[in-house]
Amino acid sequence: MIEVRNLTKKYGDHKAVDSLSFTVEQGEILGFLGPNGAGKSTTMNMITGYISASEGTAEIDGHDIFEEPEEAKKCIGYLPEIPPLYGDMRLREYLKFVAELKKVKKSERKNTLDEVMKLTSIKEMENRLIKNLSKGYKQRVGLAAALIGNPEVLILDEPTVGLDPKQIIEIRDLIRDLARNHTVILSSHILSEVAAVCDRVLIINKGKKIVIDTPENLSRRMGGSSGVEMKIKGEEGIVKEVLSGIEGVTDVSIKKGKHEEGIVYLTVYSSKEKEEELGEAIFYTLAENRCPILEMKAASMSLEEVFLEVTNDTHASKKKRRLLDSEKEKEEA
Amino acid sequence: MWAIYKRELKAYFTSMLGYVFLTFFLVFLGIYFVVYNLAYQYANFELVLSGMDFIFIVIVPVITMRILAEEKKQKTDQLLFTSPISITEIVLGKYLAVVTVFGIAMCFSLFYPLILSQFGTIGMGAAYASILGFFLMGCAYLSVGMFLSGVAENQMIAAVLSVIVILLSNLVEGIVSVLPTDSLSVWLILALIVLVIFGIVYWNTRNLTLTAVLAVIAEAVMAVVYVAKASLYEGLLEKIAGCLALGSRYNNFSMSILDLESCVYFLSAIVIFLVITIQTLNRRRWS
Repeated sequence: MIEVRNLTKKYGDHKAVDSLSFTVEQGEILGFLGPNGAGKSTTMNMITGYISASEGTAEIDGHDIFEEPEEAKKCIGYLPEIPPLYGDMRLREYLKFVAELKKVKKSERKNTLDEVMKLTSIKEMENRLIKNLSKGYKQRVGLAAALIGNPEVLILDEPTVGLDPKQIIEIRDLIRDLARNHTVILSSHILSEVAAVCDRVLIINKGKKIVIDTPENLSRRMGGSSGVEMKIKGEEGIVKEVLSGIEGVTDVSIKKGKHEEGIVYLTVYSSKEKEEELGEAIFYTLAENRCPILEMKAASMSLEEVFLEVTNDTHASKKKRRLLDSEKEKEEA
Repeated sequence: MWAIYKRELKAYFTSMLGYVFLTFFLVFLGIYFVVYNLAYQYANFELVLSGMDFIFIVIVPVITMRILAEEKKQKTDQLLFTSPISITEIVLGKYLAVVTVFGIAMCFSLFYPLILSQFGTIGMGAAYASILGFFLMGCAYLSVGMFLSGVAENQMIAAVLSVIVILLSNLVEGIVSVLPTDSLSVWLILALIVLVIFGIVYWNTRNLTLTAVLAVIAEAVMAVVYVAKASLYEGLLEKIAGCLALGSRYNNFSMSILDLESCVYFLSAIVIFLVITIQTLNRRRWS
């Protein structure tokens, strides 16, 4: 549905977006993740034809945005970072203007407007001046404008900014509903949002693609050697010794800082091969040594940690990234 | 295009801008009419319009300053440029809207020759020709104002720029008339102007090699022309000034002449400025 090839935007010598390539299938929700200034908005502005690319191109439903802009733009509903609203217009009047811009047929205009206002629940505000609306309402008006003309592709730049928690949940549900018959790209730096809504996540940093995958795969793969987090009743020395003795265990790290008499907090890491039997082995070994397990859970990295990891340019993260790449190559092979 | 046109026209009359402009224009038209036609008892309506041609310095900035600059500042241009319409349609829609506002004001002037004709015979043809000329001149100024609004960062800068440009186009003939006319001085003055223009080009593009090469070529051509045929430079400044002085094109109309050459001049100015406005907006997407 959307094919982005080698997209690059240069400002002088600075590359805001650096040869970015990805595809989005029909009905998919792709999340754009990256720290501020990573090039998320710039990329979206290029895909929607607001600014031109220095190199590369984007195709929407087979129409090149730079070669056949009008055809391509017809397929896109775009909600920019700051919703492009005219403060001196009334809400309904504004949406009607957008419908005219998008060449919605006169006979369908009224229905279209009522439908998008109902979807974004702004109907009761239709006669208000836009400049008098609150930020949350403005955001929803922007979303309603993007939905006009029933475009196949929705590109939403931080759609939940400025909304209250209830509205955020509503908008997320709305986006998920819309994804049934739309293709959606949304950007955010709220990770839980991306994890909750998106089918796939594209993480970019400094204009470069770092990784693209499903949220689950990302957390799993970035976990590296996976471990088990535990809370155990017993002597620290004994527990550590016993656990280290289990076959396949590579490391036992005691969590410092939590002081409770007779309680040990720790994480056990094992090699990949023994990963599956680890839980069972730990359970029986500790039972034999009469050290009751109070809590036990898999220690996989949250998306939050993945994000910090891959966008942080330390040595460790580079190593991890290489690991990711090599794993990907193996998968592809 | 009509969606933009309708929105733009409505915006003039939902804010105070349209009314302020109309009031200002009509008050001045009324005052000049009373003074020239009623108090001094001239039978020519042309004189009223030629007397108040300074008014463009005020009204052009007022009605064109926000037309493109405000969209850029409020980021509403994101809506326009990502909609399935071309930049040409956007620019034309906006231009037609501002011309319509000015046209509404000019419609009122159509009544004045009729009022005058109640008191005796007047040259109706000359009066209406001058109204046409005045309208076309206004449209040309408006296209300049719109272009400057597209260039400027915000509407205040756009307003200041159009005041300066309109003022200069009114003064340019006067300034040139005090400058020397012999070929050597003209060559040197033009060489200096070319340097300044390339300086501005460099400031905009930040491309030193290209602008330097072009500047050197331009200066060299001018030097060669001076050596080969110095007489070409004689009086050249006045000719150039004559081309730039948009306001003085109205002089013939005020002398009861329907000057077709000036009509063509105004129409060309409109087309040129619309085209470069479209080009500027297009180019901004690339930078």
